[in-house]
Amino acid sequence: MKKMLAVLLTVALVISSAAALAEPVTVKFAAQADPTPATQAVVDAFNASQADYKVEWVDMSNDSGAMREQLTTSLKAGSTEYDVISMDVVWAGEFAASGFIQPLDMMLEDAGLNTADFNAGSMASGLYNGKEYVLPFFPDLGLLYFRKDIVSEEDAAKLVAGTYTLDELLAMAEKYMGQGGTTTGIVFQSSLYEGLICNANEFTANWKDIKGGLEMMKKFTTSKAVPQNILNYTEGETANSFIKGESVFARNWPYMWGSIKSDGTIKNDQVAVAPLPGGSTVGGWLLGINKNSANADGAFAFIKFLNSEEGQVIMSEKGGYLPGLNKMLTDERIIKSDERLGMVGFQNALKTTIARPVSAEYSKVSDALQQAIYPYLSGSAEIDPTVTAVEAALAQ
Amino acid sequence: MQRRMTWKEFCFVLPLLLLVMVFSLYPILSSFVYTLFDYQTNNQSKNALYTGATLNAALYAEDCDYLVHYLKKDVDAVAEADKPTLQVLMDTLNVQKTLYAVGDTKRALNAGTGGEIAGLIAQTRQTVQSLAAKYPDLRIVQKGPTLLDEMETCLVKSNFVGLQNYQRLLQDSRFGQAIGSTVEFTLISVALELVLGMALALIMDKAIRGIGLVRTTALIPWAIPTAVSALIWCYLYDGSSGVVAVAFTRLGLIPSPEALLTTAAGTMFSAILADVWKTTPYMALLLLAGLQVIDRGLYESSAIDGAGARRTFTGITLPLLKPSMLVALLFRTLDAFRVYDLIAVLTKGTPETLSIYAYKMMIGQSNYGYGSVIVVAMFALVALIAFVYVKILGAELIRE
Repeated sequence: MKKMLAVLLTVALVISSAAALAEPVTVKFAAQADPTPATQAVVDAFNASQADYKVEWVDMSNDSGAMREQLTTSLKAGSTEYDVISMDVVWAGEFAASGFIQPLDMMLEDAGLNTADFNAGSMASGLYNGKEYVLPFFPDLGLLYFRKDIVSEEDAAKLVAGTYTLDELLAMAEKYMGQGGTTTGIVFQSSLYEGLICNANEFTANWKDIKGGLEMMKKFTTSKAVPQNILNYTEGETANSFIKGESVFARNWPYMWGSIKSDGTIKNDQVAVAPLPGGSTVGGWLLGINKNSANADGAFAFIKFLNSEEGQVIMSEKGGYLPGLNKMLTDERIIKSDERLGMVGFQNALKTTIARPVSAEYSKVSDALQQAIYPYLSGSAEIDPTVTAVEAALAQ
Repeated sequence: MQRRMTWKEFCFVLPLLLLVMVFSLYPILSSFVYTLFDYQTNNQSKNALYTGATLNAALYAEDCDYLVHYLKKDVDAVAEADKPTLQVLMDTLNVQKTLYAVGDTKRALNAGTGGEIAGLIAQTRQTVQSLAAKYPDLRIVQKGPTLLDEMETCLVKSNFVGLQNYQRLLQDSRFGQAIGSTVEFTLISVALELVLGMALALIMDKAIRGIGLVRTTALIPWAIPTAVSALIWCYLYDGSSGVVAVAFTRLGLIPSPEALLTTAAGTMFSAILADVWKTTPYMALLLLAGLQVIDRGLYESSAIDGAGARRTFTGITLPLLKPSMLVALLFRTLDAFRVYDLIAVLTKGTPETLSIYAYKMMIGQSNYGYGSVIVVAMFALVALIAFVYVKILGAELIRE
């Protein structure tokens, strides 16, 4: 009897320990290769933080267009090969409309998370038909860089606070142009490509004032404060001009801070950043969950972890990524690892982020907007038909 | 005289017929069927072939769930008198949710159920509107209307459009341009390949020492996979460091090194050059096979008769080579007409040929209905080309 009891106990022990040692559920995470160690570090930290799930990173094509096709082909077929999906901000509308990803509102609410806690522009990019489909992976945003060694203190304060108008900005660009070795007042992106839409989004204050905004944009492009070939400017030309000390003002993404450090003829202490009056267009990437995922809980746990204090600190320290969780913008650990966040102007810009149009067919909308706006800027179309064309494109 | 196939023989052929049906006829037929629908995979009301009223049950249940979820909290926020209204609405939606949350995600709808659901949506909308004035802060008031809009899209109608996609094709100027670029690419590259391939074949046909080595090396470009050779050319054409781009600029052929891969004329030229480089050996190989079967005695007789090299070529080589030449031309024309990989790798899609356009429509814009029409049109054009070659130019091809 005793022997039998012992055997039973042993069996029970083996079974229970086997249950405890059960393999963690694998969660597949589709993302591009990260030039920094941050993404891998977050994945490792998540896997170490709990025993239920194990995130496996599936490398996607580094060519964003190719990655989008890879994802849509797989998701269209109802495949479950990816659980967590990273997306460029402009894909979320299409993925949500197609029914490829699942809305997160209920999970967010159960987890006690509020959409307002995260980067507004990123969250707006993933809001489709009133449902929220994403959390940020890492946000990116448009900034106004200016030379604080040239601009007067009074003007600088106004810029940093974001209480200036575009008219005043143009006046400043014209006024300071030529000082301190500069040759142009302001540079931004207005070539015929996606960057034109990012800039037009800011000029029109998220398409609220299309006519006024586009007329203002044209006022800039035809001003003497910009280079003659401003209509060919992309981020590359913009950065080139600013970091070589040729321009007083420049609209560009946060990466240019690093370019000034590594390649600039000017120094970072000559530069400050400011929010844009119409809001800062959001770029960067988002995270969503495959609609057909069998491990939605694990997928959400990972997304939540990346957007937790711990995850955000890793992303910032290991990769210099901006936090998508708003409260981390003022977190000491993050400000210590990312000096950009110590600037008041940068903090202000992060508060006024705006999204590009959220559409099921974003590439088509973007293309139509480019084809409508560029001819107006280059002088081959009038404002009224341009506004009509822009409105039509946005209504798609 | 052919005799009729017996049953036994037919049984042996049957597996082959089945394979052809499954792997060849079925895909072609489904392409044809797609052309008759407004089939777009990025729109949940068009992402399948709907022939009758259908309910997107999964999305409908999800939306009901959202409304119920919002109502649960809202019930506590309204005055006692309004609570029953919300409670009734919540219960109704909850029933709908449980009814459609499990089971098929897409369901055929009869007119009755469809009408009921439409009525329910309209009624809910009315209730929400009546609450709006009194309680503007309720979640159902703020979020409800958008969700109800989405619920309406769950009542999917048939997306059969008949021949409308074909009609659109006829008015599509981009399609016309795609045909233009495809024809230009095909004519120029095949013509160049024929001339160069012929020269190469005549050299390789000579019985001289070391010809084996010449034959082998000449075939190398053809042996390289197209994607790889396109990548090699991509480096050569590169605006900042490409050898070919720099050389052409120095020679004054192009205004700046970037022109090769960024301008319309530049990309057409680049694609044709890369294609000619790659497929000339293939053309040469087919022609060489033709040359080798020509009776050498004919050349000897013509030499005895005092014919010169040119006379021999036009009088003996060309006429006897005609069947092989037509086969080679047919192969190459059809290949060039369907060109995709070379251009996709080289310039990511310019010049926009028919295959590229079809790809952009189907994969880029997820529009399978219209994309299939382009494919079907290509199919017709390819058939036409084959017909022209076989019937008009090469009657003797199949005479034997």
